Amino acid sequence: VSERTLDVSELEPPEPLVLTIEAAEALAEGDWLRMLHRRDPCLLPENLRRRGFDFFLRAGSRTAVEVFIWRAGDETARLAAQAAMERRP
Amino acid sequence: VTQTLLSFEQSPPLSVPAPYFVAAPLFAGAAGLMLFFDPSLFQSRWLPGTLALTHLITLGFFALVMLGAFQQLLPVLAGAEVPRARASAWGLFCAIAAGTAALAHGLATGNPTSLLVAIGSLGIGFAAFATLAAWALFRSPSRHPTIRAMGAAVAALVVTAGLGLALAWGHTGAGVPRQWTDLHLAWGAVGWIALLVMGVAWQVVPMFQLTPDYPRALVRATVPGLAAALLLFSALTGAEGEPARWPGLPVALMLAWFALVTLALQQARRRRLPDVTVHFWRLAMGALLAAVMVWAGAAAFGAATPALLLGVLFLTGFGISAVSGMLYKIVPFLVWLHLNNLKFATGAAFTVPTMKQVIPEVRARWQFRAHLFALCLMVGAALDPSEIMTRIASAGFMVSAALLGFNLWSALALYGRLRRQPAAGAEAIGT
Repeated sequence: VSERTLDVSELEPPEPLVLTIEAAEALAEGDWLRMLHRRDPCLLPENLRRRGFDFFLRAGSRTAVEVFIWRAGDETARLAAQAAMERRP
Repeated sequence: VTQTLLSFEQSPPLSVPAPYFVAAPLFAGAAGLMLFFDPSLFQSRWLPGTLALTHLITLGFFALVMLGAFQQLLPVLAGAEVPRARASAWGLFCAIAAGTAALAHGLATGNPTSLLVAIGSLGIGFAAFATLAAWALFRSPSRHPTIRAMGAAVAALVVTAGLGLALAWGHTGAGVPRQWTDLHLAWGAVGWIALLVMGVAWQVVPMFQLTPDYPRALVRATVPGLAAALLLFSALTGAEGEPARWPGLPVALMLAWFALVTLALQQARRRRLPDVTVHFWRLAMGALLAAVMVWAGAAAFGAATPALLLGVLFLTGFGISAVSGMLYKIVPFLVWLHLNNLKFATGAAFTVPTMKQVIPEVRARWQFRAHLFALCLMVGAALDPSEIMTRIASAGFMVSAALLGFNLWSALALYGRLRRQPAAGAEAIGT
């Protein structure tokens, strides 16, 4: 189980969306992705759901927003992402 | 947290906003052509041809771009599809485009038939648009400041259009109070164009130019401040018969505040990558400040307002610059959005081009230079409306409009090519 981190906070739309989808598609079983962004990612939730990913979204510490992403049905990744999310920054 | 203003699922087909974006530079080019063949139009704002010229820009350029962009936003705001979206978008487009052409002809020639056609066509078009926009805005759960500003701008557009139709009726021979022209102008310039640009800026400047957000005080004060000033101006003008000057002061201060804040935010960009839209916005803010200073200077010294110079600075310098800057984001983004959606839905073989491939930066930069040059010439022509100066300025303006039209058209054509030939699409990118 490992965490991947992707900081898109200094990229212009639609690069944050494109790079996050690419990084999510590359996740191995048990892995999850922490995406850091400066604002609420408008199109991301719809795109993640359509491609079979689940996610949490919360206010971040380094950046305004953090999104925790894993493949739907990957329980190991979900638990790891949830544990990381519950550790307050 | 920002409001989602774009959505894959609720996005109408690209053919819905496309005709609006393609036609807008054509109307701007037509205005340039008209000025080229009759340079005397820069002698006064009251000449029939000058009124026609102004409406080719305000209706043919601004209204069409605004309505095109709204077509994209309506279903997202309402959370529901617009009934018969494609047919209603085309119907609305035809009503506004045909009405604008008829109005320009009617104002320039005094032909009552053209004016009546314009009144009918624009009346139906704006009534339909206002109904659609009100439906979407009332359904929207969002209370984002941009949405409120859009609602206020649509309301101001309704007032502007109502006064405008009454004035057009007056041109057919019926009597209409002269001061309504100043009310029509104030509601159109401040309530509709400026407020809409400001509201959209709060969303797109931080998002696309990677700036900090606009200060809350400015965002909160704008709609009530401008609305109060416009209502006061209307009440005083209606009562006294002469346009009151002093309600212009809070408007001038708010516009200057917005322009200065925008320039300051752009100085604080996170990444300073080359981006021609930043130049368009800087030019727009510089022209807005110049317009405010010209107005304030004339008011302070009790001089007559230099209406033509103000019109050039506000419409060409502020309005067209800001709207062009937006178009260079909106159109590539929509092309990218729809190609991305198409690829996901069909598994097509083409590679989705980036926004910078949809309209190459170098081509947009050339158009910016042409626009800047044309604006300088137009300011020169407003100060010295000689025949030769005005002709040169109008030629520059036409070149700029043609380049903008070509850039937007080529972006939409790229989408058409890739959509029709998905398997061979990758080769078309960058051509």
